[in-house]
This record gives sequence, C-alpha cells and structure tokens, in this order.
Amino acid sequence: MGKLIINEWIKIFRKISTSAMIGMLLLSVIGIGALFKYQEETNPMQDNPNWEQDIEAQITSDQENLTSIGGNNTQLKMHYERQIALNQYRLQHDIAPESEQHIWSFVGDAQPLISLAGLFTIIVAAGIVASEFSSGTIKLLLIRPINRMKILLSKYLTVLLFGVSMLAIIYLFSSIVGLILFGLPSSDVSHLAYSNGEVVERNVAINLVGEYFLSSIDLLMIATMAFMISSVFRNSSFAVGISLFLLFMGGTATMLLASRFEWAKYILFANTDLSVYFDGVPPIDGMTLSFSIFMLLVYFFIFHLFAFGVFAKRDVAA
Amino acid sequence: MSAVLTLENVSKTIKGKKIINDLSLSVNEGEIFGLLGPNGAGKTTTIRMIVGLMGITKGDIIVSGKSVNKDFEGAVQHIGAIVENPEMYKHLTGYQNLRQYARMHKGITKQKINEVIKLVQLSERIDEKVRTYSLGMRQRLGLAQCLLHDPKLLILDEPTNGLDPAGIREIRDHLRMLTKEKQMSVIVSSHLLSEMEMMCDRIAIIQQGSLTDVQQVRGFVNDDLLDYFIETGSLNDAMDWLQTDWNAVITAQGFTIKAKKEDIPTLLKRLIDSDIAVYSANQIVKTLEDRFLEVTAQKGEIE
Repeated sequence: MGKLIINEWIKIFRKISTSAMIGMLLLSVIGIGALFKYQEETNPMQDNPNWEQDIEAQITSDQENLTSIGGNNTQLKMHYERQIALNQYRLQHDIAPESEQHIWSFVGDAQPLISLAGLFTIIVAAGIVASEFSSGTIKLLLIRPINRMKILLSKYLTVLLFGVSMLAIIYLFSSIVGLILFGLPSSDVSHLAYSNGEVVERNVAINLVGEYFLSSIDLLMIATMAFMISSVFRNSSFAVGISLFLLFMGGTATMLLASRFEWAKYILFANTDLSVYFDGVPPIDGMTLSFSIFMLLVYFFIFHLFAFGVFAKRDVAA
Repeated sequence: MSAVLTLENVSKTIKGKKIINDLSLSVNEGEIFGLLGPNGAGKTTTIRMIVGLMGITKGDIIVSGKSVNKDFEGAVQHIGAIVENPEMYKHLTGYQNLRQYARMHKGITKQKINEVIKLVQLSERIDEKVRTYSLGMRQRLGLAQCLLHDPKLLILDEPTNGLDPAGIREIRDHLRMLTKEKQMSVIVSSHLLSEMEMMCDRIAIIQQGSLTDVQQVRGFVNDDLLDYFIETGSLNDAMDWLQTDWNAVITAQGFTIKAKKEDIPTLLKRLIDSDIAVYSANQIVKTLEDRFLEVTAQKGEIE
C-alpha cells in the first residue's frame, strides 16, 4: 500500500499543474500578508484606552436585542448570548480585545485560503481516477497482481494526503510570513472560545490547527464526492464542475432551506461546519455535534460505496 | 509440453449480447500463439478477460495453474501484457514509468530494470519524457514494462499496429529471442495474416466470438494435396481422363489439379505419351491469406 501511494504521489507531483497550484498558494499568502502590512502601515491601530466602557456599552445593547428579538429567534438568541458571555469574560479577566497584528492573527487571517486549497484538492480528486481512464494507463495499472480495491484506496489516501499537505503549506508558510512581517505578539495571547455556555481560554497556535481542520471538513466531503464521481463516471471535468458548484452553492442553498424546513438538517452542507458546535451556533435548532458527525459518516460511507462498488466491478474497455 | 494458459468454455455477455461464445483453447510453454480474426471478432475481449480487465461471464481461465476467477492476483502475476496501445504516463520519463510498474511487483531490483532497458534498446533515451517518444519507442517501453517481472506468459494485443517494417521486424526478433532464451510463451493478436505467418507457431482463428480453427502455421499453409497448374497445348481426348481421374479444372492455357507431389511425374508421362505439348508445371503456393479467407468463408456460410 505504501508503494502504491508513493506511485500516486509521484504522478501528481511530476505534473506542472501541481507546481502551479503550490506556487499560487504561496503567492496568495504573501499577497494577503502584503495587504495587511500595508493597512497596518497606513493606519496603525491604536490601543483603545476606553475599551472597557465600549464593551460595557456593547453588552447593554446586546442584552436589549436579546430581550426584544431573542425570544422569537433561537439562533439570534444564541448569538447574543455568546457575545455577552465573551465580553463579560473580557471585563472580568481584564483581557483587552486584540488590536495588534502578529504571527497568530495572521495565520488566522490566512484561513480563507483553505477554500483555495480545497479547490486544488477537488481538482486532484476529480482527476486521479478519471485521468487514468482518459489516458488509457488504467489498463497497465489494473493488470498488476494487486486487488482493485487497494489501488482505489491508495488513490483516495493520496487525495487526503494532498489535501493535508495543502493545509500544512498554508499554515506553515503563513506563520513564516506572519513572523517576518508582524513578529511575535507583544503579550501572551490566548483564544477565547464559547462552548456549552461557558467561556474557555485556549492556546492560540493549537486552536488555529483545530480551526484549520474544522474548516476543511466540507472540503473533505466535497473532495470525497469528486473522487466518487471521478470513479463512477470516469470524467474529470464533470467531477470538478459538479463539486465546485456544490462547494459554492451548497452552503447558501442549505441555509435558505434551513430557515424554512426542518429536514434541511439531513442535507450534507448543513452538517459540514462542525466549528459551530465548538464556537458558535448550529444552523438548525436541536442539531448536535454527534448528529452532524453521524450524518457526515453516512454521506462518507455512501460516497465510498459507489466509488468502490463501481470501480471493482467495472469492465475496462478504455 | 505443459500448458501455460487454458481457456475453459469461456463466454462473455455484454448487455445481453454474446461477445465470446464457449471459447476453449490452451497455449503451451515456449510457443508463440496467434489470435487471428477480423476486427470485432472478440480477440481483444478475450485478452481483456485473460488479464482481468473484464469479468468472465461463464467458464474459467487458468494461468500457470491459477484461476483468474478465484485467484486473480496469483494468476496475473505470471502475465505481462500490452492491451492495445502501450499507454504510458507521458509526463514521466521512460525510467520513471518503469519504476512505477516495478513498485507494483515484488522484488524487482534497479539492476533488473536496467537489464530490461538494455534488452529493448532504450538506454539512450530512457531519461527523456515519454511525450517525446516515437510510436516504436513507446512500443518498446511497453515491452520493457511487460518483462520486468519475468512473466511466463506475454500477451501482446496488436503489437505491430502502426509500426514501420523495421519496427515490426524488431518486435518479431524480440519475441523469437524471448521464447527461445527464457522459455516464455507469447500470445499475439492481429488481423494481419502475413505478419502472423512469420511470427507464430500456432494460430487460432476467432470469428464472431467462437473458435473456428487452431492450426500449426506450417500445416496451416501446406496440405498433403497441393495445387498445380500445368501449361499445355490443346488437350483433345485427354480432357476426359483428366476430368474423371484427376478432377482437373480445364482452362484455355492448360489445367489445374490437386495432387500429391509424387504423382506429378506419372501425370506428365501420361500427358507426353498422349502426344500433348507440355510447356510447364508449377505448384500454386497457397498463402495463409487464401487459407484464412477459405476457412472464414466456410464458417460464414454455415451461419
């Protein structure tokens, strides 16, 4: 299995398009860094000496909103409760809201690039089976004394490995760029998280690793779907097209449905953002972390049932 | 001689249509075996079933004692194959391609890879991208890929497709050498008769998914009875006994008969004794092509 993954890895990394993908990621990190640096230079953020008063004012306004609106809308209610709890924690422990840019805030700012990493992972997932069929090399691959399941599994694991590498590149490179441009934080910082009605402090660097992984769950699921389409239909453009459409539209469409219908919670995209259970509010009332994980596993299993079922039985006539 | 490959009553049905119908044959150690048939007869389907690219609807295929149905990995490890064109990863070099395949078999050393490269004479260009290779070079790289794991059975589907005469000759010489020196068995498929005639020891003719005939190449061409054309002057009375005794076909310049070689002098003597002018007597060499068309035409009439 190890050797099969090495094979797939070599095939991916000998492609020029892969170098272009990595290059784009690196350039984007530098670009975002330059943008933030420029902003910082032109209007440097001042420490707000009156932050305590501001936060108190914010709390009062939030509490007003909570009593007026919160009764009807559970989501808004949770949102305000969270805001209030976090702000009260700040007052109690004398933690001013962060105003300076530093390495960790930048690693956090680089998070939108995860979508780009996801895009690349989807492209790789969509091509990894389909391209073997379109080039005809699938024939020389399947006449080896290796079970077809193993060949497909090695391809899927390679996709996962590729996705994780992309995340690692963003995380590591943005910490390097962040360190060079903004330096270390002047005082100890920790992340304030609101979980199960309580406020907890977490280590920033580790919390960021967690955030990176949590925000790539939808990408994992969509890459898995792209892989399934690639294996079933042997057509990489179809796989890329459908997957990207769902990546960009799926979330929005699900949120629209979620506001009207309760069954929307069974839709894949209602469950892909697990971070709401650690630090936020779920899209539909009554959804729990275990429910979402269960739904994700069901989808994951179905995708692989199709991918492996079709691949193992197929008559190869390419 | 023991059989390396046996097909036992193999059938293949795709979408209700019978592509291969109850095909049985066996290939012996060290022989070059040809699958001959018109396009669409089922040669490639047969090959795809042997190497496991397609499922077998009915029957079984045994490679070196292992069933493709029950022990695919055991069976296919004895096979090296090119199915249709030798498609390689074009963005890798020839060497990197071979490394890919080497990783999928057990115990293939770098030495072995280099040895095979030398054998197919690709040493000079092996570190260039496959994209830059000519068809002949790809064909040779394909052959190298089959030979890495020292298979007992080599399967080449249309190995000379698109090659120039020099390339065809090269492939032929390689195959001869492999069967002689390494005791490998080879299956080649083709619809080109002249080529099969030069390459193979035995040929199976497949038509519409069924086996029509298996013959030794020499026997395939040569019957006991040979065709002769005797050029003569006017035949007169001799016409009668020629037609009754020899079943001759009379033409304006003479006649043709089917006869054993030993009978020709007797025939000529009798002609000369009857005062008939004999100008020449020639054997009509029947090519494989004639035989092939003959066999396939008969089959066509039956159906």
